[in-house]
Amino acid sequence: MVSSIVHAGFALVLAAGLLRGSYDRRALAVVLAVVLLPEVDSLLGPIMSGAHRTVGHNFVFPAMAALLISYDTRIRERSLLRERVADRGVRIAWVALFVHVFAHVALDWAHLEGVNVLWPLHDAFFSLDGELLWSSADGLVQTFVDIELDPETGDRRVDAGSTGTTQSVHVNNPIEPDDPETLAEAETIDRRFPVAGRGWRLYLVGLGLFTVLARRLQGDPTAVRED
Amino acid sequence: MTPTPLTAALGALLAAALLGPAFDGRSVAVVVAAALLPTLDAVASLAIPGATNALAHNVWIPLALAGLLYWDTALRERSALRERYGWRGVRVGWVALAGFAVAGVAPDLFAEPGVSLLYPVENVYYVVDGLLLFSTQDGVVQTFVSTTADGPGLLPFESTGTTETRAVSTWVNPDGRPGLALGSEREFVVVDAGWQAVVLASAVASLAVRFRPWTRAGTETGPSADEAGEASR
Repeated sequence: MVSSIVHAGFALVLAAGLLRGSYDRRALAVVLAVVLLPEVDSLLGPIMSGAHRTVGHNFVFPAMAALLISYDTRIRERSLLRERVADRGVRIAWVALFVHVFAHVALDWAHLEGVNVLWPLHDAFFSLDGELLWSSADGLVQTFVDIELDPETGDRRVDAGSTGTTQSVHVNNPIEPDDPETLAEAETIDRRFPVAGRGWRLYLVGLGLFTVLARRLQGDPTAVRED
Repeated sequence: MTPTPLTAALGALLAAALLGPAFDGRSVAVVVAAALLPTLDAVASLAIPGATNALAHNVWIPLALAGLLYWDTALRERSALRERYGWRGVRVGWVALAGFAVAGVAPDLFAEPGVSLLYPVENVYYVVDGLLLFSTQDGVVQTFVSTTADGPGLLPFESTGTTETRAVSTWVNPDGRPGLALGSEREFVVVDAGWQAVVLASAVASLAVRFRPWTRAGTETGPSADEAGEASR
């Protein structure tokens, strides 16, 4: 996993940008809890092959959650969610969902073996890796999706960064820091809890802290206006 | 050098997060423009040797601007900025400064080729790239700050060279040295890693949600939040 601290850092930036009037410590706590929750799937690792980056890391559950929330708050006559947590709660729910998709699943998609994008509909890990650039010599170049054309048969093969299925892929995490079979034989197990594995991840942590600190230091606009 | 669209995206994310009631199309444009300002030192490098990631990528400019803003808005009896633009002007000023320093300068520090933080006092490029983790076998491991490095600079970070030895290539100035070099190949990078694509998509989706013209009065948020995200991915 990209370290949970990195997810949290980027989540704080996104949440601060989307919460508007609902921004306060409690709302941030809810968003952070939702961002950390998917890592629980690493606990399922010992009983389900390839559970980490699968059960909590896909785009199917968030899409279902989005449908459920919009059905409940838009289509039903009486919204269960709004009755329980009011409009403020509905907004926080949407923001938490947005942050889960972008700051957690999408960031992990771009890390190591990626995430099981369409699980449980389709069991395949994908990793988002590549670059997009415009070159004066070659024009637009992108390497996120490889398209290969077999010159003999004319078959087209599209590779969007597929890395395998739950049977073949194991994404290392502190619960299972290596392939389960290797772990069974290992004498000492080195569990590594990353804070930031690259410079840009440290930057995202710093960006989150900066955002929250800056929001704290900002004056109250209504108070200043009265001057 | 951080891809220009990524710099703009980070500026937009900061704008959405920090502008508060001053958030509108114009103020976001000001903050994004401020975030893109440091990139212009690549243009200066066409005339000044080694200006890229140095001339506008140092700690002095943000410090001086912060001092100036603080003096004008907090210490002076009558603030010129507040008199002219009111409360919004002060907020946009501070957030634009954050855009300049945090979205414009800082990302370049965390990846090759680094920035010359103390330019022009010294002309050493620094890069802060490494790892920080806790291991049950090795304890705390970190390689971001190196106190033992015998690089040419004052700061305890890894150095990638000086403005003389290291020419930073950009789409404005492909060979990084003075002169136009009109014939050489130019590359305008949009994103050069998966995570950058994610940050860019997040910024586009965030702005779409904040600006969404389809908001209905009385409803707080809509299903659009996630759909906008899906569309931009």
